Amino acid sequence: MKNLGSVFAAYVIGWAVFFVFYVTVARRTSQLKDELDRLRDSVKKGK
Amino acid sequence: MSLLANTGVLLGKELKTEFRSRELLTTTIIFVVIVLVLFSFTFDPLSDEARRFGAGLLWLAFLFAASLMLQPCFLREQTNDTLSALRLSVSDPFAIFLAKLAANTLFLMVMELLLLPVFAVMYSVPVMGVVHWLLLVFFLGSLGVSIAGTALSSISAQARMRELLLPLLLLPMLTPILIACTEVTAALMDRSPYVLWKGIGFLVAFDVVFLTALWLFGEYLLEE
Amino acid sequence: MWKRAIFAAVVVSLMGAAAYASLFIAPTERTMGTLQRIFYFHAAAAWAGMTAFSVTFVANLLYVWRRQPRWDSLGVSSAEVGLAFITTVLITGPIWAKPAWGIYWTWDARLTSTFVLWLLYICYLLLRTLIDEPDRRALLSALFGIFSFLDVPLVFGAIRWFRTQHPAPVIMGDGSSGLNPTMKATFFFSVLAMHVLMVFLIMERNRLEKMRLEVDVIRHELEVA
Repeated sequence: MKNLGSVFAAYVIGWAVFFVFYVTVARRTSQLKDELDRLRDSVKKGK
Repeated sequence: MSLLANTGVLLGKELKTEFRSRELLTTTIIFVVIVLVLFSFTFDPLSDEARRFGAGLLWLAFLFAASLMLQPCFLREQTNDTLSALRLSVSDPFAIFLAKLAANTLFLMVMELLLLPVFAVMYSVPVMGVVHWLLLVFFLGSLGVSIAGTALSSISAQARMRELLLPLLLLPMLTPILIACTEVTAALMDRSPYVLWKGIGFLVAFDVVFLTALWLFGEYLLEE
Repeated sequence: MWKRAIFAAVVVSLMGAAAYASLFIAPTERTMGTLQRIFYFHAAAAWAGMTAFSVTFVANLLYVWRRQPRWDSLGVSSAEVGLAFITTVLITGPIWAKPAWGIYWTWDARLTSTFVLWLLYICYLLLRTLIDEPDRRALLSALFGIFSFLDVPLVFGAIRWFRTQHPAPVIMGDGSSGLNPTMKATFFFSVLAMHVLMVFLIMERNRLEKMRLEVDVIRHELEVA
């Protein structure tokens, strides 16, 4: 089957783009969640 | 006062401001001449190619010039906050946009008409027979550029890096204008010139769509 | 927490199933052979990307009308996700094109307007980074988004009607008109999987955006206190 390499390359690269996007979002979300918890604690302490 | 009356007054102000110093027109015209000269180095400007490529390069030069010329449009309203004054002076904020885009269309057309003979000579393209049609294309194209450009200029004036931002926002959005104007102009500069009515119709459609969008959303662009 | 994990599992399963169907269940196309299978991924991603941008357009309109931050969040989330989908389209396209046509790219209506769309939404995101004030940023980017969305059909029309001296090779979009029912089913299943992925990614990105808003609110609260 010729061009099988192209087909796999397309699928792998395509999935890679979505994966990278998701991982970036997930990482930023967890960082922000830590920040959010920290801030919420500050508010509680303040009160 | 009605929309048209307001627009007339503001248009008068825009024209007076520009013709006092004429700096915008002068610098824009010189810029296009420089661009045309530089373009001439990239291919054989006296061949038949000039008729085909020349139209595209001419409009490309106009677009670059416009994206620079439209910068001060709203930027100059930021010194002394004259924009607030304008807003207070009219009942319909669309008048401000109408006046500015009319002025910009006029300036662009003046520039284009002054540069047409320069282009014709430099690239050896006969234009005398089709000047009236070229006038129509210049008008419809400049109108489209002005409508989009005035709207985007009000956006970029409120952001950082505004000098680079306006061309960045404007040029992709004006792709349809570039394509249609190039095709119509190239047809008019052909060995046997003809009018591409499809192109004229398309330009009218573009202008109508963007003018309507500006009419619907313009007031939000001017919000405090 | 668990709902998200289950949703993620569903997404992965659907994408996996769609890939399996595309690679093993769908019959081999007569003229293009195995290469045609890229179409199931490429075209489905294109449809999902366009849907995402339509969501952006609606979110932009709603923000201008209602001025609620949630529409701004949805707008930026769907724009980023749309951009991700269109990026895969612009990458998988040339991978398909080189063996099929011998060239990586051609300036026909569909490809060019896709590329201009991609550029316009890059500008949308860039514009947002250049405006600091949140309300102003939301409003101006929404207005730019609206203009961009109106522009894209005009770009497509312009090239379709005026760039005929570069006749493009028949684009594989015609593959969906291939009458084989298994191919059609595989294609629509791929479209479904891509749309479910799109919804998942938009939800995750929107969650991040909402969190950011909350952080700003609390920070402001602390400053004021």
